[in-house]
Amino acid sequence: MVRFFSFRFALATWLLLMPLAVLAQTTYLLRGTVRGTDGTGLPGANVAVPRLGLGTATDPEGRYELSLPAGRHAVQASFIGYQSVTQDITLRANQQLNIVLPTGGTELQEVVIQGSGTLEQKLQTTQMGVERVTAREAKLLPALFGEVDILKTLQLKPGVQNGGEGTSGLFVRGGSADQNLFLVDDAVVYNPNHLFGLFSTFNSDVVQSVDLYKSGFPAQYGGRLSSVVDVKLREGSRDSVGVSGGLGLISSRLAVEAPIKKGKGSFIVAARRTYFDVFTRQINKLNEDDPEYNPIPDYYFYDLNLKANYQLTDKDQVFVSGYFGNDVFGFNSTRGFNFDFSWGNRSATGRWSHVFNPRLFTNTTATWSYYTYQIQNKLDQFSFGLGSNIRDYNLRSDWEWRPEGGKHVVRFGGSATLHHFGVGRLQAGATDGSLNIGQDVEYDGQEGGLFAADNYSVTDKLAVDYGLRLTGFRSGRNDYGGLEPRVAARYTLSPKTTLKASYALMYQYVHLVTNSGASLPTDIWYPSRLSVKPQRSQQVSAGVSWLLAGGHLLLTDEVYYKWAQRQIDFRDGAQLFVNPELDAEFLFGRGWSYGNEIYLEKKDGKTTGWLGYTLAWTKREFEPQRGTNGINGGRAFFPTYDRRHNLTLVLLHKLNPRINLTGSFVYTSGNPTTLPAARIGVQDVFGHDPQVVPIYPDRNSYRLPSYHRLDLGVVYKLKPWRRLGGESDLTLSIYNAYNHRNPYFIYIDEVKDKETKQVIRYRARQVSLFPVIPSLTYNFKF
Amino acid sequence: MFERMKRIQNNMQVRLLGRVPQRWLGAALLAGGLLSGCGLQKDVDVELPAYPPQLVVECYLEDGRLPQALVSETVAYLSAPAPSVLTDVTVLLTGPTGQVDTLRFQPGQNNGSRKVYTHRGRRRLSIRPGDTYRLDVRDTQGRRVTGSATMPATVPIDTVEWQFNDKPGDARRALVLTKFRDPAGSADYYRFQVHRSNVGNNPEAEYFPDDRLLDGQAVTLGTGYEFEEQDTLFVTLYHLDQPYYRFLRSIDDAQSANGNPFGQPAAVQSTVEGGLGVFAILNYQRRRFIVR
Repeated sequence: MVRFFSFRFALATWLLLMPLAVLAQTTYLLRGTVRGTDGTGLPGANVAVPRLGLGTATDPEGRYELSLPAGRHAVQASFIGYQSVTQDITLRANQQLNIVLPTGGTELQEVVIQGSGTLEQKLQTTQMGVERVTAREAKLLPALFGEVDILKTLQLKPGVQNGGEGTSGLFVRGGSADQNLFLVDDAVVYNPNHLFGLFSTFNSDVVQSVDLYKSGFPAQYGGRLSSVVDVKLREGSRDSVGVSGGLGLISSRLAVEAPIKKGKGSFIVAARRTYFDVFTRQINKLNEDDPEYNPIPDYYFYDLNLKANYQLTDKDQVFVSGYFGNDVFGFNSTRGFNFDFSWGNRSATGRWSHVFNPRLFTNTTATWSYYTYQIQNKLDQFSFGLGSNIRDYNLRSDWEWRPEGGKHVVRFGGSATLHHFGVGRLQAGATDGSLNIGQDVEYDGQEGGLFAADNYSVTDKLAVDYGLRLTGFRSGRNDYGGLEPRVAARYTLSPKTTLKASYALMYQYVHLVTNSGASLPTDIWYPSRLSVKPQRSQQVSAGVSWLLAGGHLLLTDEVYYKWAQRQIDFRDGAQLFVNPELDAEFLFGRGWSYGNEIYLEKKDGKTTGWLGYTLAWTKREFEPQRGTNGINGGRAFFPTYDRRHNLTLVLLHKLNPRINLTGSFVYTSGNPTTLPAARIGVQDVFGHDPQVVPIYPDRNSYRLPSYHRLDLGVVYKLKPWRRLGGESDLTLSIYNAYNHRNPYFIYIDEVKDKETKQVIRYRARQVSLFPVIPSLTYNFKF
Repeated sequence: MFERMKRIQNNMQVRLLGRVPQRWLGAALLAGGLLSGCGLQKDVDVELPAYPPQLVVECYLEDGRLPQALVSETVAYLSAPAPSVLTDVTVLLTGPTGQVDTLRFQPGQNNGSRKVYTHRGRRRLSIRPGDTYRLDVRDTQGRRVTGSATMPATVPIDTVEWQFNDKPGDARRALVLTKFRDPAGSADYYRFQVHRSNVGNNPEAEYFPDDRLLDGQAVTLGTGYEFEEQDTLFVTLYHLDQPYYRFLRSIDDAQSANGNPFGQPAAVQSTVEGGLGVFAILNYQRRRFIVR
């Protein structure tokens, strides 16, 4: 399966260039952290030596590295919302410098806009196709029901489509829902959604930042074809006890953080829970004596996050992080019918970071991930249960080495994962023992990966990030593997213009079994085995970035082409649940997508935001196979997440120190869908109740009307609390401000004569999900 | 809503298992009142994809009965519901011995089953399990639909029992348990129905089990506590061949997919070729009893 010729050049280049790392020895490495006075690492802070015109931005954990020539330097660190700090150093060897920034006034930190470093740094980085969103940005933007959702903020970025009105699903550059790798503190999250995708599992109180990689994937990432969504959680304050939270329309949040030992370590615990069920239970209780009353189903979800970190020595730091979340849906009829449906993720991460010396450090990370859903129902004496789960144990080691000379940053490492796929569990029985059946369909899998990459500054103008990833997967007696070359390059045309290009090959060994076109809690993960071979994709992208308006605006234009083999779908009428021969239900095909993404962003000043436009095509093709006509007889078709045009405008304006105004506008072409074209009548064995049966033409042969929506928001900072020194704000969100009835789906309905009850005509009905929805959220912090 | 949920529940227990969870999600979303009652639905003009008319055949053969077939064609979904009869269709039925019968064009309605037909045979059929019949339907436009069907083996019902709950007076209800043994070593498909008073009514319970998890085992199919004392019930167990089973499920899926945003694409899986529809030979066991 490995096509050597396709990566031979990259491999040879990599092997040739690697020894160059030990050349030039004129600079030393300055590395350290930038933290607030409470000890929290500040991601995206700027660290620079202005005299030399050198600078960098801190990573999601507040760490930075800067290569400087020997001698005296004034190192300046800055972060919006904090006071800048300048420290003088004399660099005679590699050196560690940790910088603490005092807060810059009385502003709520959450109402400060901060992105991933400056536009200048974004211009110069080799990495392309990456978007970073911080919790601070997400909290400012208007949100559905006031529920801040960082994944929905990502959907406002070019090249990213949602899975439908209000949903958190991501479809990146023509990739399907299962081709995104969601990581929370390096632990995989298999279903990052609550309430059928309306909300994500990421509580904004504990999220520090999210990086979305759409192309040019760094070699340390693998396992999915289309994107990596790397979520980093916040560390608690190392300085003082803090409490933050919010009261919203449908949920409340509370987070507590405190030092474990001042300046050495801290923890944060956060919880969120919805409360529709509190009201619906009361309504049900009031009507419990009414025999005709049908109880309202119970529904709630909750999240629990925990993270603790501790600086063991100057060179050693550890952290543990955990997540526990559930959705619970229950229906209890007075007529003996009960239905309970729950699903949720759990994950845990432990990491040890060790700095051998300023040029070499390593992270050793162990993670555990688990996703499960359970359906239990009961009708009188009969009960029925259905469930599925996936469980991972992962151990990985990441190393970073900065050789003398400052021209190379070498990263290498490996990871190993044990997967357990509980593809289906069925239990059905009767209390009198007259019926008792059960079946488990389970598989195990082992996945491994080794990678090495070098970010090489070839000249002042040219930088290349090249790497190789070797991956393998075993499930039973089925072995798969492949080499994944990754290359990205940046060429500086002028101080304000850069050209970038990248290539990446990706393998995906686990697959989502879904036939709905959306990501649902009942979707099952399935390993590569038997006829189900690993999915594979390749992507090339190229772009140009211009720094405009004196460095206040960055305009980026990227084009991409992605092609993928062994894409999966399912035959019509497939048996997807508790099927020991599930692999026979798969169909295999190919997919390709291409497009152009234009992105204009502004990160400083009173008014910030971005304008994005994507022109894209996505197609899939499944030829006749396995006794079927494939899909659409083998003709290429547009999947449901194909959108021709996608325009987003996001604006944030700081009106005065207490009021921020925000707004976002989205326009997308309608998504392809399948509508019945014809009908037939079926009498069945008895002719008393003839049925009208829809006949469907080619899949996705109809396109819904276009979608557009304006959201508006106001963040109003209240007066500080005198006693506790706390801060609070009111956030008003207006979702779908001009109340546009966006199409969610269309169906064909029959119209009957009121007297004769005969069908007199058929009509098409469009269903919209959300009208204008205002919501108010109270946020506090002390 | 309750009836809808109960029906889904019934299907869930024994269909083992299709796209039911997706249906549940659609039902839950609708039940949540998110879609209805807020003015969030409206009529829209749509231009549905073109679909050239195809012949549609519905023909079920039974031992001891006259063969009847209904031949029609697909119509554009949004067209007016005007009945049309195809007058230029020839229907040929070939028996296991190779004897060919031409079913006469004789539109009518069966008094017992209330089924409408366009073509009818002249003599009653004598069919045994394992017998294969072929159907050949042609019209003057050159359209042709063919199919063949084999009578499944007989699977006898072993016992039918009913049990009352402990509730007093008007709340006293009975459930029904039906037991049979699945033939070992073969893939078997069933349709189970419980009718009250008359088999021409809508069934009170209906399942479509298969033996994927129960091959060769004793099978018990049950209902909830929903029958009253003195109810006359009919329990029917059809043994189906796989094409007919898939057809039944696919028409159910096709109907569910219209109006369910989580529904999977659902093409009707006909048992015939060249057009749409079903040609099957029925073999069922039926018990009639009074609950007391």
